[in-house]
Amino acid sequence: MREAKRFAVWFVVLAIVVIAGDRIGAFICSRVLLASQFRLSRIYRGGANADILVIGDSRGVHSFYAPAIETLTGRPALNLSCNSMSMPIAEALLADYLDRNAAPRMVIIETTCVVVNRGLVSELRTYAGLSKRLETLYAREHPRAAAAGRLFRLLPYDSEFFLRALMYLRRSDQDWINRNVIAPHLAASPRGRWSPRPHQENLDALGRLVPLLRARGIEVKLVIAPYHRSVMVDMNEITPGVTRSVPGARVMNYADAIEESRYFADGVHMNAEGSEVFLRMLCSDGVLQCHVEKPPQT
Amino acid sequence: MLFNSFAFLIFLPLFMIGYWSTRGRARLWVMFLASLVFYAWWDWRFLFLLLFSALVDYSLGLLLENEQDDAARHRLIVLSIVVNLGLLGFFKYFNFFADSAAQLSEALGLPVTWNTLQIVMPVGISFYVFKTMSYTIDVYRRTQRADHDLLRFATFVVFFPELVAGPIVRASRLLPQLSRDHRFDYERALSGLTLICAGYVRKVVVADSLAPLVDVRFAHPEAHSALSLLIGVYFYAFQIYCDFSGYSNIAIGLARILGFDFGINFDRPYFSRSFSQFWTRWHISLSSWLRDYLYIPLGGSRGGTLFTFRNVMITMLLGGLWHGARWTFVAWGGLHGLYLVSQRIIGPSYQRAVKSLRVPQAVSSAFLILLVFHLTCFGWVFFRAQSFRDAWQILSNIAAMQDMSFASVDNKILVLKGAMLIAGLLVVEGITLKPRDVSPARRLAFAASCIWILLLFGSFSGNTFIYFQF
Repeated sequence: MREAKRFAVWFVVLAIVVIAGDRIGAFICSRVLLASQFRLSRIYRGGANADILVIGDSRGVHSFYAPAIETLTGRPALNLSCNSMSMPIAEALLADYLDRNAAPRMVIIETTCVVVNRGLVSELRTYAGLSKRLETLYAREHPRAAAAGRLFRLLPYDSEFFLRALMYLRRSDQDWINRNVIAPHLAASPRGRWSPRPHQENLDALGRLVPLLRARGIEVKLVIAPYHRSVMVDMNEITPGVTRSVPGARVMNYADAIEESRYFADGVHMNAEGSEVFLRMLCSDGVLQCHVEKPPQT
Repeated sequence: MLFNSFAFLIFLPLFMIGYWSTRGRARLWVMFLASLVFYAWWDWRFLFLLLFSALVDYSLGLLLENEQDDAARHRLIVLSIVVNLGLLGFFKYFNFFADSAAQLSEALGLPVTWNTLQIVMPVGISFYVFKTMSYTIDVYRRTQRADHDLLRFATFVVFFPELVAGPIVRASRLLPQLSRDHRFDYERALSGLTLICAGYVRKVVVADSLAPLVDVRFAHPEAHSALSLLIGVYFYAFQIYCDFSGYSNIAIGLARILGFDFGINFDRPYFSRSFSQFWTRWHISLSSWLRDYLYIPLGGSRGGTLFTFRNVMITMLLGGLWHGARWTFVAWGGLHGLYLVSQRIIGPSYQRAVKSLRVPQAVSSAFLILLVFHLTCFGWVFFRAQSFRDAWQILSNIAAMQDMSFASVDNKILVLKGAMLIAGLLVVEGITLKPRDVSPARRLAFAASCIWILLLFGSFSGNTFIYFQF
C-alpha cells in the first residue's frame, strides 16, 4: 500500500509537470509561430499589406511565383496558396487576412482548387488558436482532436505547418516553388483524358468569397494555370460550375497555354521557370498590369 | 486492441484496478479474461483458435510428462508439432504454398488451377504458436515440468502484453512468475512506466512519422530519384526497428508494472559490429527461439564447417519464412544466412589484417558498424518490397545513382523531420549504453519529456504495428 501511495504521488507530480510544460511549450510555440515568415503566420501577424494576393492549392503555389510577380508588376505580392487548399479554407484565410491587413488591390484565385477535397483541414489546428474561422472548420472535421488540443496545448503544433513555420523563421517562404523539370518518361507518357469535378462546398465558398472581396473594392481574377500536355485535362465541369456559383465571373483558362515540358515539374505543377513564362503571359493578356511586358517564350 | 488506440487507454486502467485489487486465482482470472477481451477486440471468433491451441498443448504437456515410453513420447511431441505448425501452415501459408505450387507447375509446362481460400490470418498466431510449441518441446526434453493448472497455462498462452506481437516469452520464464502473487513495487512501476513512454515515442513519433515516407517510396519506386529511394530504405530500417522495439518496450514495461520480468527483446542492434552480434540484439526472443529449437537440434556447430553453414542457412531461411508468406521474406532470411556464413569465412582474416595494419580499434569498430548496418539495409529492401521486381527496381535505381540531388526528394520538410528524429534516437541510444539505476526525479523528467515529444511530434493516425502481420 505504501508503495502504491508513493507511486500515486509520483504520478500526480508527473501530471502536474507535464501540464505545466505543455502550457509553457505551447506559449513558446505560439510566439515562434507568429514570428515566422511562413505565409499563414504573415496573415495573423498583420502588416502584410500586399497589393496582389494569390490563393490556391499546390498549383497556386507553383504557378504564381510571388518574387516574379513583384518584379513584373512592381507591386508587393503575397502567395497564400498551400498544397491541398480547398475553397472553404481559402475563404477563411482571406477573410482573416482582410481583418488583420490592409485590403489588397487584386486577388488571384487559382480556380482548380475547387476540385480539392478537405485534405488540408487537419493541418489547420496549428493556426486554429489564432482564428475563430479556422477553429470552426477544424473542429467540425476533427471534433475529438480539437477537444484533445484544448486539453494538451502542444498538440496543435504537431503539424507540417508548424515545421514550415520553423523552417521559415528567418526567411520568407515566398521562394517556395518547384525547381526540377518533369522526368522525360513522364512527359512522354500521356494519361487518359481527365475531367476534374468541383465539390459543391468549394463552389459555395467561392460564391461567398468573390462578392465579399468585390464589396471591399478588390479586383478578383479567377485563373486556371497551365497543365502539362501529358495531362489531357478538360474544364467542362469546373468552368460552368464556377460561373454558376459566381454570377458574372469570368474564368481565364490557361490549362493548355504552355507546351514545353521544361516549364513543368510534373504533370500538374509548373516550375520556377514555367511560372515566370506564365506570368509574362498574364502580363501580355492584361490580367496583370506589368512594367516589363515581353511575349511569352512558347 | 492496439497499444496506441483509444480503446486501450480505457482498457488499461480498468485492468490495473482489477489486477491490483485481487490476489491468487482471482487475479489469474482477471488476467485471463482481460487478455481475452484484448484479443477479442480485433476478432472474437479467433478466440476459439487461441483457446484450442492452449488446450491442445496443455493436454499434450500432461501426457508427455506422465508417459514413460520413449516411442509414445516421441509420437506425442510429433503430434504437438504437427498441430501447431498445421495451424500456422493453414492460416498463414496455405495460399502462399498453393500459389507457389501453381506457379511451379506452370513453369514446368503443367498448368494447374489451384483454389486459394479467403483465409484471415489470426493476429499473433506466429507468436503464440511458437510459445506453446516451445512449452511442449521443453516438457518432452524434461527441462520443463508440465503445468497442471489449466487456468494458469491458458493465461500463459493468452497473456495480453505479449500475445499479438511478442516478445516470445517461454514457459520456463513466464509460468513460474504466474505461479506467485506479485506485490506492487514502486521502483518496478516507475521503470515500467518510463519504458512504456519510451516505447510510445519509438512507435508513435519515430516509426509512424517515417511510415508514410517509406510507403510512398516502396509503392512507386519508379517515381522516385536514387537519393529519394535511398532515404526510403534508411527510413524503413529505422521504421521497423522503432515500430517493433517500441511495441516490445510497451509490452515489457507493462509486464514490469504487473511484477513480471520478460527480459529484453532489442539491444541497440544497429550498433552491432557483426551479424552474429546483430542477431543477439535484434528480436532476441525469436533469434534465441530459433537457436534453441531449430539450429541446435539441427546439429548447430557441432559438425564440420559445411554442416554448420547448412544449419545456419536452414535456420535463417525458415526464420525469414516465419516473418511472412512471401518469397521476399525467404530471400531476406537467406541473405542474413549468407552474411553469417561469410562472416565466419572472412572474419578471422579481417581481424588479422586489422592487427597487422594496426588499425585503431575505434576506426575498425566504426567501419564494421557501418558495414553491418548497410548490409542490413540491403536486406530490408527484400523484406519490405512487395515483390522481387520492386526490390530490384529500388536497388538498381539506387545503384545507378541517377539524380542524387536533394531537390529531387519529395516531402523535404518531413524527410528532414524524419532524419532529425533518427539522429535523436541514435544519440539517446548512444548515451544510454547500459541501463542504469536512475532516481525517481530523473525518471519523472524522462517520462515528462517523452510525453511532450509525443504531443509535439507524434503521429496519431492509429497505425498498426508492423509485426502484427507476422
